Order: sequence, then structure tokens, then C-alpha cells
Amino acid sequence: MHEPITEPAVEDPAVESVADLEDGPAESAADLEPPVEESLVEQDLLVEDVSIDGMCGVY
Amino acid sequence: MSVAVAPARLVDHFEAGLDAPICLTWELTYACNLACVHCLSSSGRRDPRELSTEECKSIIDELQRMQVFYVNIGGGEPTVRRDFWEVLDYATAHDVGVKFSTNGSRITPAIAERLAAADYVDVQISLDGASAEVNDRVRGAGSYATAIRAMERMHASGFRGFKVSVVMTRENVSQLDAFKAIADRFEAQLRITRLRPSGRGADVWAELHPTQQQQGELYQWLLAHGEGVLTGDSLFHLSAYGQSLPGLNLCGAGRVVCLIDPVGDVYACPFAIHDAFLAGNVRAPGGFAKVWRESELFTQLRRPQSPGVCGSCTHYDSCRGGCMAAKFFTGLPLDGPDPECVLGHGEHALAVRHGSTLPRPQADHSRRRPPDRACDEDPVTVFLRVSAPSRAS
Amino acid sequence: MTVTPHAVEAFDLDAAWALAPQVAIRPEPFGALAYHFGTRRLSFLKTPTLRSLVESLAAYPSGRAACLAVGIASEELPQYARSLSVLAGTSMIIRRETP
Repeated sequence: MHEPITEPAVEDPAVESVADLEDGPAESAADLEPPVEESLVEQDLLVEDVSIDGMCGVY
Repeated sequence: MSVAVAPARLVDHFEAGLDAPICLTWELTYACNLACVHCLSSSGRRDPRELSTEECKSIIDELQRMQVFYVNIGGGEPTVRRDFWEVLDYATAHDVGVKFSTNGSRITPAIAERLAAADYVDVQISLDGASAEVNDRVRGAGSYATAIRAMERMHASGFRGFKVSVVMTRENVSQLDAFKAIADRFEAQLRITRLRPSGRGADVWAELHPTQQQQGELYQWLLAHGEGVLTGDSLFHLSAYGQSLPGLNLCGAGRVVCLIDPVGDVYACPFAIHDAFLAGNVRAPGGFAKVWRESELFTQLRRPQSPGVCGSCTHYDSCRGGCMAAKFFTGLPLDGPDPECVLGHGEHALAVRHGSTLPRPQADHSRRRPPDRACDEDPVTVFLRVSAPSRAS
Repeated sequence: MTVTPHAVEAFDLDAAWALAPQVAIRPEPFGALAYHFGTRRLSFLKTPTLRSLVESLAAYPSGRAACLAVGIASEELPQYARSLSVLAGTSMIIRRETP
């Protein structure tokens, strides 16, 4: 039986803006919006996911 | 606190090109049993210089060495090659994953079961209308029924997540929800892609490409309903509307992807089958690897590109000036706006273009007569048709 | 820099890990590309050290030991642990039984 292979359509576009995100001032964890926290985390992440379908030039 | 420095963005590395493609399109044959009006490869008749089975296997050996992770095998209709399954099996046995693009005409129940059991094979079925009426105007009488039947068989065999791939046109933008419903019905994944004025597409682009208004609708639909919908990053020019669409938003041609055509020619991408984007041929000494790594064209593409007149536009970072193939085949300069620039700069550029004839591919593999629906033999090239200049769009 | 747990799950550095069997690592000047043939997921490893780390995981009794072996300083451990956590979340690396 073929395992479902639904391709990850792509990651949250917010990841694309990571490089532009500046470090904000230190705030308590309770004050931070989760998406901002995620971006702060992702900014120093050494792993970035890319969709194998996310490169233009393959039909 | 010292941390490892996370360097440049992924796209910066990709724009400069890699030592091997990440994935690529490999058109196995120019033969096709259909005659879609917008065919990017002007397919129909087999080219007598087609790569042999052994040559195909040599290419796969190279791709394995280079660690190309997967290839999209297309055409023409790749399944009309008698050695298609042999080549497919050889690829997956040699660490090269395959997705093949098909009109579905050769997906029998037995084939569907075989595919469901195969590892590392994905299937993409082409569909350009959510109804026979819309689809068949582009792909020919009976093609909608053929595609749906193939999807039914794929689903029945247990294959989940195959791709239903649509080229967006003026006539089918209104059917986006219906396309999604078709994909959902067969537990497949919808993929919507851009129509380019490439191959036979040049002849129909003016009438078939979405209007500016429709482009906006398409963009909004993707934002609202596009989770789980693939685009092949082919709509990155729409990112200039605002929020970037998922994907690298990057022209991958010659940098992370390319095309190998049925006679071994290597082009920057499948939408750019023209001498201007021909990097070399795999039959030359050094094979595909040498073309990828050392061809003048790819070296040039991997240099920083000038934004040209688009450099002063605040949206350039999003759209990157759009698609070079779209610009080339509509006669626009490569360092200017995309013909479908969402701000309208492309329309303006087309209107003021002083035109001589538009670029045409040197070889046209189209059949001279419409295909016989009953015939599914491989068409054989008798002679190549010399294309007449296209009217200006 | 602290990281809140809900963004990235805590990673067990003291467990034994390995690259998942269907993952291919392709070295690049900037680090590596990692491709999972089963899920068709593609990941970009942004430093050569991270590449060395994931390739070394199977040879060491713990993730921590592998980190030390490839020269990751103790103050860098949290950052690499977060990256390993992401890779575990996408099935690129898996827990393994230690002998």
C-alpha cells in the first residue's frame, strides 16, 4: 500500500522574512506574541526547510 | 554568548548556483498522443535523435553521482516511450526519485497498482479545466475524460497524494474551487502553475493568459485557500501584490534546476527551449555534469543579475523582475518588467514594444494534423515544420 | 538567549540519535542539503558543523557526545539542540536504541 506522500506545500512565509527581522528588546515570555517568538527562534536556527516543489523551473 | 553564525539566506546561496541541481525536468520524448494548444515543448512527433535507453541510464548514473534528489520526467507524453518503465525503475534504483507528468492515457488499472506499490515514484496528471468543456478546448477532445479516469484508477489503487497539475488560463481561473474539489475527491494534491508564452504557448498566450484582474483573484485565492496547494514556485511574480507566496520566489533556471530534453540538449528551464537558453548537450564530453558546472550560459545566470529598470521599483525584492522566459518570448528585455507584472508595467512595455518578429524555438515537434484519438502509436518525425513568425501579442 | 518550549520542543541531547535511513545528505559549501526520500522533504543545513553533526550522530552514544566530537562549544549547544529538534520533528533524524 502506497504511503501517503503529500508534499509539504510550503512553510509559513514568515520564515522567508526571518533574515529581515531585527532583534527586538528583551521581553518576558508572557508578553511575546507566539509568532514573534517563533521568528526569534528561527532566526538562529541552523535548519531551513524548503519545499522540493518550491523552485521555479520544474513543471 | 557565542553562537554559530547563520549566514546568508538560502535564496542567496541558490541564486549563485550549486554544484548540482536540486531537481530538474527531464523531457524523455517529444512524442505525444495529444496536441495541447499551449504545449511548452511544442511536442507531438518523436525526434529521431532521441536519447537511447542506454544513454538515459548514463544520465541517471550521472544524476546519482551528483546527488540530484529527484527529476520530473515529462515530454511530450513520457509513457509513450516503450522503455519508460525501464528508465523509471533504473532511476529509482539509483537514488534518483521520480515524479512523472502524464496526460493519463497510459494509466491502466494495472499500471496504477504498480505505481502504488513503487517506492520513490510520484505521479502528476495534467488537467487544464475542471470540466470537459474548458479542459478539452486546450487539451483536445476526450482528454478530460482520460485524465479523470487515470485519477480514478490511481485513487482506486491506493496511491495517495498524486499531483493534479493545472496551467492557469483566462478560461479556468473561475474554476479554482472546482479544481480543488477534484483533487480532494481523489485524495490528490492540487498544483496550479503559470501559463508561459513558450512553445506553442506563444501562439495562444495573448488570448489565454489570465487578465490582470484574474491574476489578482488567483493571488487572493492562494492566500485564502492555498494551504496544501502547490505552485512549483511558478507564480512568484504575484508576490509583488504583497505577502509573498510560499516558495523560494526565485528563478531557479540554471541555478538549482534545468531541463534535459529528449535529444540531450540542456536548457535553463523547460519554459526556455530556445538557443538563447541552450547550455550544451549531454552527449558532449563531460556529459551533463560538465554542462551544468561549466557552460557559459549557466555561469552567466549565476552572476548577480541586474534589475535594470525594475531596480527602482519597491516591489523588486518580491518579484525579482519575474520570469525570464515570459519576457523573452513576448519580446521584452530581460532586465525589464515581466509581461504580467502585477503593477501593469509589463502591459505598458508590450504596448510600446517596437516589434520585429518574436523569438521562436528553432525546432517545432508539433504534428501537422490533429491527432487521431484512436491512435496511440508513437508519432514519427517525417520532417520538422519551419515555424512562421508569430503575430505580436 | 532563552527559548520558550512551545516554539521548539525540548531535545534530548543525551539520547542516541541517527540520520533517518531514507535521508540523503549532500554537502554544499554553505553546509548541506538534506533530502528525505520518503517524505520528500528538503532541508537546508546552514553550517558545515551541523552537517558534520548529523552525519556523526549514529557513531556516538548520545547527541551530546556527537556535538562535542564535531567541535561544538558548550555555549553553542542550545542552538544546535534546537536545530536537531527541528530535524527530529521533520523525521530527518530518529532516536536509536543504544547497545
